[in-house]
Amino acid sequence: MTKTPKLADDGSPKDVSRRRILAWLSGFGLFGSAIIAALANLIFIKPRATYGQPNRFAIGKPQDFPAGSRISLDTRRVCVVRDGDKLAAISTTCTHLGCIVSVAETGFACPCHGSHYDQDGYVTSGPAPRALSWYQVTLAPNGDVVVDKDNEVEAGTYLKV
Amino acid sequence: MSTQSVIRSQKGWLALPENIWHSVFRNALPTSDYGRSSTSFSNFFLHIHPVKVDRHSLKATYTWGLGLMASFLFLILVVTGVLLMFYYVPSTTQAYDRMLDLRGTVAFGIFLRNMHRWSAHGMVAVVFLHMCRVFLTGAYKPPREFNWVIGVFLFLVTLFLSFTGYLLPWDQLAFWAITVGTSIAGYAPVFGKDIKFLLLGDSTVGQEALLRFYVLHVAVLPVVLTGLITIHFWRIRKDGGLAKPDEEEQGAESAVENTVVEAGASTVPVTMAAAAGAGTPTTAVLPKRSFGIQGLVRGPLVKVGGLRDKTVFSWPNLFQAELLVFVISVAAILLVSLFFNAPLEEPVNVMHPPNPAKAPWYFLGLQEQVSYSAFWGGVGIPTIEVLLLLIVPYIDRKQAGVGRWFAKERFLANTLFMTFAVINVALVIVGTFFRGANWEFVSPW
Repeated sequence: MTKTPKLADDGSPKDVSRRRILAWLSGFGLFGSAIIAALANLIFIKPRATYGQPNRFAIGKPQDFPAGSRISLDTRRVCVVRDGDKLAAISTTCTHLGCIVSVAETGFACPCHGSHYDQDGYVTSGPAPRALSWYQVTLAPNGDVVVDKDNEVEAGTYLKV
Repeated sequence: MSTQSVIRSQKGWLALPENIWHSVFRNALPTSDYGRSSTSFSNFFLHIHPVKVDRHSLKATYTWGLGLMASFLFLILVVTGVLLMFYYVPSTTQAYDRMLDLRGTVAFGIFLRNMHRWSAHGMVAVVFLHMCRVFLTGAYKPPREFNWVIGVFLFLVTLFLSFTGYLLPWDQLAFWAITVGTSIAGYAPVFGKDIKFLLLGDSTVGQEALLRFYVLHVAVLPVVLTGLITIHFWRIRKDGGLAKPDEEEQGAESAVENTVVEAGASTVPVTMAAAAGAGTPTTAVLPKRSFGIQGLVRGPLVKVGGLRDKTVFSWPNLFQAELLVFVISVAAILLVSLFFNAPLEEPVNVMHPPNPAKAPWYFLGLQEQVSYSAFWGGVGIPTIEVLLLLIVPYIDRKQAGVGRWFAKERFLANTLFMTFAVINVALVIVGTFFRGANWEFVSPW
């Protein structure tokens, strides 16, 4: 019951287009798998949970921050600003190269490359490319002030307490 | 026929050591040309070399042995690195103590660390110089374009290997250098933040970053580098050895010796088709016959007869030269490691960056640029420079001046390259010596 393959005029098998399609499909399959594998690897190395400091944390009660104070929490890398009955958290990570800026009279100053920021975190001098970030501040049900570093807010956004 | 290559098996117990020896080493020390060929050809560690090598490629003042030096430094790095791994723990609480242990209790610990550190710095410098050599001698031109591209990637991987190793001691120098360095990566458009996060495994430099840098440093990048080096070496052979001046040019140089020098002789490399018959190209002295090596090797053909043989046997000429480079490299690293200790500063204090906080020296040019413009200095200009390096052998394809230092025909290309190189070196020097607290200009004197 063997079928003799149909031959074209030059003697080559006629169903060569089917082979070509199969070859293309195999190629797609192989390269597609490679791309999917690469993506899977990328997803794998991007951590879903980090083991370092949480980006959302409580910093204490509102009364811990007296009016007019600017308290820098170096381990958290935020500066808590209290203006009357309003609270805000400004990043103390220099936007230039990631050093910790210190609270200065005029605002913030970076010890590494000499960037200066004003009270609201806007750059006044130095190589820093942009203003310091402001983070969302909320009140937890238990009265704790919570800073969320994953949520940046516009400069000048305060929480009334 | 010499008898040295045919080793007769001896009978009897007394011959056992000799038989074992000959089963490992197929050839006795060569005394004839046949033996020299056979030794190069049949020894695993030597067979990567050609049996004969052009005299031009052996000239110390042509290559300065820089490529070999880079690979020997890598060898030292692998050996000392594996040894250091026996005592190192990639943990933020232990890494620094292990550094102190290397200094205090581990036999030769401080010496091994010195060797590893200085070889790493040396390798960055030597790979850069090797790249300069290849450019200034025009050795990147066809058919070697792609090997140049691999070389550019080798340079980048070398930088990245050195950079990932910089964090591992977990001292102030390491921590802040990596903080500064990864911040530069964060300036890349669109993906910058993601790249930084993937690299650090966290939003700041910490335990995750240390572990990631460790894995990259001891496993991923060395394997990548080894793979690239293998292809780099293999292609040197397949592209016909090191770049050398055209036959015509060499003929012109020694016109007195070679009687027939035709003006305007074709400088197009001999192709297979041309060699096969039709339109045989004019060379200074016509070869009687031309052979392609197994008909597969691109580039220069093996010309038999008619030409002065400019090649010498690899054994001993090439191997002696390589051994010399090896000895010089090892000796230099040993000497430096004997007299200078790798720096180890205070343990990491996340609260108190040193002022100024500086990246590793080879990135200080970058950091200097970043102090003017974060995006352009850290990402824009370096990307453009790397792209230019990658594309240059595909733009600049003329064969004139290949294989000679500072060839007049390559004045423009060499000047452009030297300008870029000098600017980058100058930026590194400024960043290293002329920048003090707050990145303000200081005088080192």
